[in-house]
Amino acid sequence: MKRIACFLIAWCLLTGAAWADSIKIPVAAAFTGQLASFGEGIKNAAILKGEEINAAGGINGTRVEIVLEDELCDPKEAATVATKLANDPKVPIVIGHLCSSATLAALPIYRDAKLPAISPASTNVSIGKMSPFYFRNVYKDDFQGLFLAKYAKLARGFQKVAVFYEVNDYSMGLMLAFMKEAKELGIKVLGTEAYTSDTTDFKPQLTKFKMMKPDAVFIPGYAPQATLIVSQARGLGMKIVAFFGADGLDDDLMLKNPDAEGLFVTTPFLPDKAGPQAAGFIKAYKAKYGKEPNWFAANAYDGVGIAAQAIAAAGPDRVKIRDYLASIDSKEKAYKGVAGNTYFDKNGDCLKDAFVKEIKDGKWVSAEKQLQ
Amino acid sequence: MNSLLDQSSLFLQQLVNGITLGGVYALIAVGYTMVYGVIQLINFAHGEIYMLGAFLAYSMVTVLGLPFLAAFILTILICSGFGIILDFIAYRPLRKAPRLAALITAIGMSIFLQNLAMMIWGSQIKSYPRDVLPEIFSKTAWNVGDVTLSWLQIFMLVITIVSMAILHLVIHRTRIGTAMRAVSQDKTTSALMGIGVNRVISFTFAVGSAMGGMAGILVGLYYNAIFPTMGYIAGIKAFAAAVLGGIGSVPGAMLGGGVLGIAEVIGAGYISSEYRDGISYAVMIAVILFKPAGLIGRQIGEKA
Repeated sequence: MKRIACFLIAWCLLTGAAWADSIKIPVAAAFTGQLASFGEGIKNAAILKGEEINAAGGINGTRVEIVLEDELCDPKEAATVATKLANDPKVPIVIGHLCSSATLAALPIYRDAKLPAISPASTNVSIGKMSPFYFRNVYKDDFQGLFLAKYAKLARGFQKVAVFYEVNDYSMGLMLAFMKEAKELGIKVLGTEAYTSDTTDFKPQLTKFKMMKPDAVFIPGYAPQATLIVSQARGLGMKIVAFFGADGLDDDLMLKNPDAEGLFVTTPFLPDKAGPQAAGFIKAYKAKYGKEPNWFAANAYDGVGIAAQAIAAAGPDRVKIRDYLASIDSKEKAYKGVAGNTYFDKNGDCLKDAFVKEIKDGKWVSAEKQLQ
Repeated sequence: MNSLLDQSSLFLQQLVNGITLGGVYALIAVGYTMVYGVIQLINFAHGEIYMLGAFLAYSMVTVLGLPFLAAFILTILICSGFGIILDFIAYRPLRKAPRLAALITAIGMSIFLQNLAMMIWGSQIKSYPRDVLPEIFSKTAWNVGDVTLSWLQIFMLVITIVSMAILHLVIHRTRIGTAMRAVSQDKTTSALMGIGVNRVISFTFAVGSAMGGMAGILVGLYYNAIFPTMGYIAGIKAFAAAVLGGIGSVPGAMLGGGVLGIAEVIGAGYISSEYRDGISYAVMIAVILFKPAGLIGRQIGEKA
């Protein structure tokens, strides 16, 4: 037993020495716990991208090592992980975090250590402004509201819309962004009604909507309430309207509800609408993991890609990498990834289009009409 | 939205919604008020019986594959059993203890049952699949202009009214009902007159819990959302309804439930949907300020 242990330690030391000149790219997200299913796509795609980079000769000849850091989407764990990474001189950049609350906890630690980070999934509006070292290749919550207004008018031709929002920061941000853009595009917002997360009876508000006869109802909220809203609306005989929402409704819970047929939501990535540059990724992902990549996977794949490009161009220095990322600031310089072209604004937020998927026969499918 | 017809059909539809909601509050409130009537205990675990009713019926229909009617009756029976057990385990040992002790126990039982349900069924919202319920529930019974009344709403109203009527007959026309009224007036004297006080209390819990469980099944069907914390909000609302009507009074609970349900829906429909709960509680507070015993509660002086 002792001999085996000695052997293992020696092996670790030897291989460690062999990888001494590798570049660590840590990926921090939830890989266990309640939100592990979100982290799974991130993990799979990051590992895949790492293997592809190494197969192509690494970054300027140096191997890439994808290191998984599990923080369970818990802000406390995220801060611990961030401190560890900030103090590791071999870490030039971080891919993470997943949940906005985890990102917000890790953000000041990376900022103080001048360690650049790219989040593939945190959509909270305030993240970008808080640190010059934070970038993200996912859109912000308010962008979804703006996009949905555009999509509702230009792709679906809705003229009259009612808005049914939950009283929380996420929903109200979405609602306000939607209303602002709707006004500019000339969509008539017939009425706005609110609900709280513990509500189960939505009929009084829906009854008002029913009398207004809107083309569609926008629900900037979460799936558990939205599934009740669509059922109760159908119960009241609102058969003509379409329902739509943002990523809060992007939950398989909606699929169990036959009344949700036709509901559509925003998503950053759709395998069948992704364009030719994504074909190789989708094929490789399917071959390795036996399923289609979701948007978490696509964004993580691009995140690692952007990080690798930055290290290749700027070297291992953290501040130089940050400056390089900040210089990707226009459509021409954009990183051409599988989930569209990524370039950053002055806050490090990305300006990227969204896609739309809808429920058809109890499954999420790409909407026929997209805004690309 | 402009014409008078639209306005009046909007009001009618809101009234229909409000009466349905009020009926459910009344069913739950009856359980609170009956128990309070006999042992002066606010049974905070009553909302959890309601929640268990919803879950039991759901499991019987989806897991065991029972027909809905069988599940409905079985669930009501099991819930009344739960009521008896709840009283036996949690409240009977404290019958002679200060009232505060039993109240704390009630809150403890409420938390315990909520967590138990979370362990058994998980915290995610459960919904009935469409094909397991009688087809008629998803059909519209009456549709005039823009006012819709579904068969499920009619079923709920009929069940509510029939069970209230039966309850009224039981309390006023049967021996056990007479015994209940006697115990609620004076426990010691009733015992001296040969009434089995504990038996009467068990019966009260059984009937109250049956009503609560039934309300749970109906709400589970109506909103098609069943989750472990559903009893909390519904319990608080029903408690408010019981107080509004006059706690201890069964007709008061019915009236209180109706008033609260309509106030909530009209408030959400015409004033502000953000403050719908605030509006319904404001109505309750206003009533209590002017009539401290509730709408048809007994005057406080009558009972010590």
